Amino acid sequence: MGSLSIKLFGKTLRNPVMNASGTLGYGREIEPLWGVETLGAYVTKGLSLNPHHGNPTPRVWEEQRGLINSIGLQNVGVDRFFDQYFPLFQEKKTPIIVNFFGFTEEEYIACAEKIRPHRLIIALEMNLSCPNVKQGGISFGKDPDLVHDIVMAVKRVTKIPVIAKLTPEVKNLKEIAQGAYEAGVDGFTLLNTIPAMVVDVEKRTIPIRGGLSGPALKPVALKAVYEISTSFPVPVIGAGGIMDHTDALSFLLAGAKALQVGTATFIDPYTIPKIVKGLEEYLKRCRCPSIGAIVGAARG
Amino acid sequence: MHRLFAYASVVDQREISRAMNDIEGKITTNDEVAPGYYLLKVKLSRPMDPFVPGQFVMIRVPDRDVFLRRPFSIYDYHRPVLSLLYKVVGKGTEILSKTGKNEKVSVLCPLGKGFYLQKRQEYVILSGGIGIAGVHALIRRLGTRSSVFFGCAAKKELALIKEIDTLPVSVSTLDGSYGFHGTVVDLLSEHLTTLREKDIEIFACGPAAMLKALRRILEKDKTPCQVLLEERMACGLGLCFGCVTKTVDEAEPYKRVCKEGPVFDLWEVCL
Ligand SMILES: Cc1cc2nc3c(=O)[nH]c(=O)nc-3n(C[C@H](O)[C@H](O)[C@H](O)COP(=O)(O)OP(=O)(O)OC[C@H]3O[C@@H](n4cnc5c(N)ncnc54)[C@H](O)[C@@H]3O)c2cc1C
Ligand SMILES: Cc1cc2nc3c(=O)[nH]c(=O)nc-3n(C[C@H](O)[C@H](O)[C@H](O)COP(=O)(O)O)c2cc1C
Ligand code: FES
Repeated sequence: MGSLSIKLFGKTLRNPVMNASGTLGYGREIEPLWGVETLGAYVTKGLSLNPHHGNPTPRVWEEQRGLINSIGLQNVGVDRFFDQYFPLFQEKKTPIIVNFFGFTEEEYIACAEKIRPHRLIIALEMNLSCPNVKQGGISFGKDPDLVHDIVMAVKRVTKIPVIAKLTPEVKNLKEIAQGAYEAGVDGFTLLNTIPAMVVDVEKRTIPIRGGLSGPALKPVALKAVYEISTSFPVPVIGAGGIMDHTDALSFLLAGAKALQVGTATFIDPYTIPKIVKGLEEYLKRCRCPSIGAIVGAARG
Repeated sequence: MHRLFAYASVVDQREISRAMNDIEGKITTNDEVAPGYYLLKVKLSRPMDPFVPGQFVMIRVPDRDVFLRRPFSIYDYHRPVLSLLYKVVGKGTEILSKTGKNEKVSVLCPLGKGFYLQKRQEYVILSGGIGIAGVHALIRRLGTRSSVFFGCAAKKELALIKEIDTLPVSVSTLDGSYGFHGTVVDLLSEHLTTLREKDIEIFACGPAAMLKALRRILEKDKTPCQVLLEERMACGLGLCFGCVTKTVDEAEPYKRVCKEGPVFDLWEVCL
């Protein structure tokens, strides 16, 4: 049987399937259903230097084929994550990617500095979008120069590989990626949620503004993965509306080296283990030696 | 602290939440029991693990144009049949009400933290409208050890308490068509002085306005009270932090209704 394992930033992952940041709690919440060791790597909930309370409700809203969220990056802060939640991953020898954000450049830097290299930490994922937080955040990912400067600043204070997670809400995604690439970024995660809102026709109000995720995002994310993976020689991790192993395959074939599954887990909490199994069966069926062999295969 | 549920002494909350499962089931009954209210019975393909009254399920009818699962309280459970009582309020419940016998559903259960029973001289259970669904299992468990107050809009909704009509239930209707004319909180406040002569605890489930009014009448004495809260949910498992409610905890004000709740101490939440 072919192997699902991949190499990412010099480390071997058992498979290319990860959760998307903010969609698997702190990891331990899913444990009653399946173990975090099922994941190729666990991506942390977005962490910040200091704990962050997040937004008032409503925070989630169902859309056709999608979800709008306005969680507002509630998290316990980077210190408490490592004290309280990291031991589970140590115990299970599960690699993690630390997703983090800040409201100022200083906060990004201070947060990155706090995270000491560890054999289980394969990368830091910079959330450059945060479309649902009013101050800061949003502007970093929209301007190639800001992206360049902040990636450079973070690279300077850490030895851990740095991934830029980009927002789709930009004029030219390639230009933004170029900014990060020139600053020495080690990889990209595409995409974060798309800014969206809802209008309540009866009440004539806007009950929620937030980020759209789920299947509605998939074709947009696929295009972004295709474009960025063909333009830069660094790994791209695909995310956006992956619901099953067929969606997962389409991202791999478009050029993603690994995948993140978010919203789908809310509907079927077993989506991730099912995708892993589906990919295994696909390799067997196609007599394919390794999942790496199909990355980008649709690009011709 | 003493716990009254027999199994609760051997299964603590942490283990209870460990016991959740995604179980396939088949609809055996889906009948309109009062205008706009349905009683759904699902025969589960595997038994559900022990539950605490107040816990809930996330249900999904596959192949329907509904994206997320929907949360409903565990109304009743007689292995392997799970009962839910629901009110049609929007798209998901509308579709559910039109789903027929023998159709398959997927049920994630049991979820959240239910009512916590400490030894008291008497328990008072208060519910408004569909809020009865959240406390029905508790009423069943406590039987005559509780005083039950139920409020609804009009007499026609009395069908909602048909299954507990062997117990004395004090009823209020907003239109005065049955029992006390007014809200269930007004009704309770008439009995409160007498009830408070004993060491009581109140359990409540109902619309936000009812819980706020309840809080106002209990404010002075800070009578022990637990409330079952509702919030929009995406996962029901504590994964998304979408379903929070604000609490008095200054360090971490927003708690997840699906994980730290849905039952909260009334004096810990900011209604
Ligand atoms: C812990 C808990 C227990 C519940 N128990 C019951 C019960 O036993 N019986 C019952 O009839 N109802 C119960 N509810 C409320 C029930 O979940 C909603 O009425 C239902 O989700 C509405 O779905 P809809 O598609 O018909 O409405 P829509 O308004 O079309 O739904 C759109 C979205 O909003 C959410 N939503 C809408 N109203 C509510 C609400 N009041 N609470 C939470 N989410 C909401 C839906 O889940 C969905 O994601 C409970 C809610 C919670 C949180
Ligand atoms: C509830 C929720 C919370 C999220 N929180 C974060 C976060 O903290 N940091 C981040 O970079 N992305 C966050 N995201 C975006 C996801 O990681 C992912 O990029 C996006 O949802 C697209 O994938 P999906 O369609 O599979 O959900 C969040 C998404 C959702 C739905
Ligand atoms: S609904 Fe996702 S955390 Fe409660």
